[in-house]
Amino acid sequence: MRAGRAKHVWFWAFVGPAVAGLLCFSVWPMLYSLWLSFCHYEVVAPPRFIGLRNYVYLFRHDAAFWPSVRVTLVFTAIQVPLSILASLALALLLHQPVRARGWWRAVYFLPSILPQAALAVVFGYIFQADGGLLNRVLGLAGFAGQAWSSSPTWALVVLIVMSLWGFGYPMVIFLAGLQNVPRELYEAAHIDGAGAWARFRHVTLPLISPVLFFNVVMGVIAALKVFDIAYAFGMAQGQPIPGGPARATLFYGLNLYQQAFGYFHMGLASAMAWLLFGFILLLTAVNFRLSRRWVHYAD
Amino acid sequence: MRRRPELWSYLAFALVAGAGFWWAGRSREPRPVHGRTVITWYSVITPLRDHYEAQAKAFERAHPDIEVRILWVPDSEYNVRLKTLAAARQLPDIFLSGDVWISYLLPLTMDVTAYVRRDAAEFGLDDFFPQIRTAMQHEGRYYIMPEYMNLSLLYYNRRMFAEAGLPEPAGRWTWSDLVANGKQLTHAGTNGRPDVWGCSRVENWWGEWLIYVRQAGGKVFTEDGRRCLLGSPEAIAGLRFYEEKSSRHHFSAPAGFEPRNGFVNERVAMIVGGHVNYWLNYNQMPGLDWDVQLLPAGPHSRRGGELAMAGYSIARTCRHPEEAWALMKFLTRPEAVAEIVARGSLAVRQSVAAANIRGPRRHERPRNLGAAYAQFEFGEPIPRHPHFIEIMLQIVQPEIDRMVLGQLTPEEAGRRAEAAANAFLATFDPADS
Amino acid sequence: MHRRSTLATAGLYAALTLIALAMLVPLGWMVLTSLKTQPEILRSPPAWLPASPQWVNYRTVWEGFAYYRFFLNSLFVATMVIVGTLLTCCPAAYAFAFYDVRHKNLLFGALLSTVMLPAQVTVIPLFKGFAALGWVNTYLPLIVPVWLGGNVFGIFLLRQFFRTLSPSLLEAARLDGASEWEILWRLVVPMSLPAVLTVVVFTFVWSWNDLFNPLIYLQNEELCTLPVGLLYFIARAEQLTGGSTGQIPWHLVMTLATVMTLPVIVIFAIVQRRFVEGVAASGVKG
Repeated sequence: MRAGRAKHVWFWAFVGPAVAGLLCFSVWPMLYSLWLSFCHYEVVAPPRFIGLRNYVYLFRHDAAFWPSVRVTLVFTAIQVPLSILASLALALLLHQPVRARGWWRAVYFLPSILPQAALAVVFGYIFQADGGLLNRVLGLAGFAGQAWSSSPTWALVVLIVMSLWGFGYPMVIFLAGLQNVPRELYEAAHIDGAGAWARFRHVTLPLISPVLFFNVVMGVIAALKVFDIAYAFGMAQGQPIPGGPARATLFYGLNLYQQAFGYFHMGLASAMAWLLFGFILLLTAVNFRLSRRWVHYAD
Repeated sequence: MRRRPELWSYLAFALVAGAGFWWAGRSREPRPVHGRTVITWYSVITPLRDHYEAQAKAFERAHPDIEVRILWVPDSEYNVRLKTLAAARQLPDIFLSGDVWISYLLPLTMDVTAYVRRDAAEFGLDDFFPQIRTAMQHEGRYYIMPEYMNLSLLYYNRRMFAEAGLPEPAGRWTWSDLVANGKQLTHAGTNGRPDVWGCSRVENWWGEWLIYVRQAGGKVFTEDGRRCLLGSPEAIAGLRFYEEKSSRHHFSAPAGFEPRNGFVNERVAMIVGGHVNYWLNYNQMPGLDWDVQLLPAGPHSRRGGELAMAGYSIARTCRHPEEAWALMKFLTRPEAVAEIVARGSLAVRQSVAAANIRGPRRHERPRNLGAAYAQFEFGEPIPRHPHFIEIMLQIVQPEIDRMVLGQLTPEEAGRRAEAAANAFLATFDPADS
Repeated sequence: MHRRSTLATAGLYAALTLIALAMLVPLGWMVLTSLKTQPEILRSPPAWLPASPQWVNYRTVWEGFAYYRFFLNSLFVATMVIVGTLLTCCPAAYAFAFYDVRHKNLLFGALLSTVMLPAQVTVIPLFKGFAALGWVNTYLPLIVPVWLGGNVFGIFLLRQFFRTLSPSLLEAARLDGASEWEILWRLVVPMSLPAVLTVVVFTFVWSWNDLFNPLIYLQNEELCTLPVGLLYFIARAEQLTGGSTGQIPWHLVMTLATVMTLPVIVIFAIVQRRFVEGVAASGVKG
């Protein structure tokens, strides 16, 4: 009995700070921003309740809201599958008997942990229309260069490429998943005469479906929250406010930051934040629901 | 026995961590030293940084009881950070201000009318150009002490004009002269596409297109600031000229292909608008033979070039307004204005302007200083509207971007910009903030 | 076992090499550019290679632009964040791994679910709160949340690892009279060094690279950390050389970018094996 109570004391002493942090830095701000989303709050004066007007303005009048939703969804829809495919393909390559596997793995992983702000600046320089590395290499190969970062289509493509460059996280997780697949299963399948594709489809894929699911969920959440690369890229392009050209790189997170800390429409920005949060929750729930159909847990 | 070293290590850890927190939380608010009053001064990072630092030192020598601390911030972040500091109740005492920013920053700005009236003779209120004296005020009250100004001008490369066998731009030029000369100055490069352009085109910003809109008779807002007027036929005519510089007349680079550092590298022969802040850089480029002229006139008006005054304001929360006011007077006294003008800028004081035109001057260029000051007559401040910057950058500019990219016609761009701005104005009442 | 043809092997290595090159070219271009002179950058088109490497750029940036200050600021914040992470994550992970308390899993789930909570949702109230406390323009908003278990990922990763340890070890230590606190720091943590190292590196990278929070809370140039400092530098450099018609000194910008990425690369090179395995563990067991 005494030992049991002591354990309780230790438990709460050990998790106490984390629980306090949870309450102070997640739960309270979350609820407070929900309240602010129904307020007119521009910092100068205290919040004033205005009901749903922020939401109505966002949905019906704000010129930047829908474009930023579109940019973010397009980015997510293209970047997440590409990044999953690329990282899975690379993980499969590395899963072959390869010399110095650790070394290759490290090289591919490295870009994922580098500072995104620095990467965005380097990529901005490489993709310059006038004298940028890419256009010059293309020029040598006889192709006409593009104004990559000034064209709405290409600017988003550049950001997608830049973010693909960091597929290290999903790749490493896939690789670990692949290593957990028992070798005997492959050999059994091989003896059964299954081809490479059939082995992948019927042995590998079901067995790594949990990590695939994990990567998809995390990838989608990360894609919906993009801020750093868009902000730094815009700054490196010398845009008066990042997000251009013509809102082509105005990611939702960037739009929210500008509404909140550029123009101090804090109430409006809180409404945007809650819409994002709601969307992430919804999407994750849908993902989990769908996952019952295709994710196979071993135990 | 076992406990002792452990206790020591806990103590040492607590000490180090405590020191870390002390450092992390140490207030960076300036603390007065030996009873001196500290005045914080918020400034953008500019090529004149050394000048301002010298000014601060000189001021401290003249006022031993005051200490000046300058906080530097990048131009593009300036407004945002100032408002953030206001939200955090950490506003500096004086900050860079100007008639572009004043209506946006008005809630943070102290009314200095009483000081201006009291010291008018001492600092020479009448020495400022009349237009500048107007720009110092908002609804009849004084808020800004002016330091320098920018006027939109026509910048051109003399060598490129001479090589093309063209006479230099004249003060009576119109848009068609700009087009005709611009075309002759545009040259193809090795790959057959133009490599040298007759005229630059400023993207991502209202700097250039607003000139054409106003010269074509258009306006951004109605007088009361409650409606946007960019969808009017006049405004659209201005937008069209801006767009056709590249798409129809081909003397400006298409979107995104503006040569980097074009004017400095002599790959662009003319600039419409420009900024006096670049004079310093132009003069640092050896061999760059440049000059200025009055802006070409539009179909409706010669007016419409931007007149922008830059100066200083005191924060409403300032606890030492008398000392801050002394610093503002010091920064805008004739000698300080003359120093900025000598490095390359336009004077807000008539006495300094007159001496500058007469010479001698530190820099030979621009030779045609007379034209620069003559542009005064045609310069117009941008609308005083609390949401001007936000509306122009956040709401209007994306439509202009799309027009430049060929995705919208000038008509569509103007109308869409107007509709979006009006939707914003209907929700965010200027009276509200 | 079947043998692959030499052709397939060659193809495999060719593919691996090509992809590795694609990974490294931007970094290489960054370093190359950082070693050029201003005229080599401004030339149109710029020079491919520096005529002679300009190591002086590093000195210019370090001293002339007082970049060491941004560097030290970043280092300070990262250190405080790492210490705070270890101090709160280890006990919390230990408690979640070994104690059987009612609602434990519910609490753990609640903590974990904050990973989904976008920073954008909490930033406005937090800014308001920190501003009211007078913490804007101090490092406290970056540090204090971490000292209160803000690094949920760290808790998660450590708990995963702790759970692989045998509870009988703990019982043996308890019988020896060791307190829970001692068991945690003298037994469990030393036995879990790989996981702890992973968490430390993760935390370092996360703090070192963070742009969003310093951008909001550090308004004074002298307080800036590296990512904000880099963007400041671009803005400043542009001002120094004349705005949008002026010249960004890309060679110096790239020097800064190199200074900023180098510590991450070095640390990664040292611990990459352990670190990558830690990352893998986080996904596979999650």
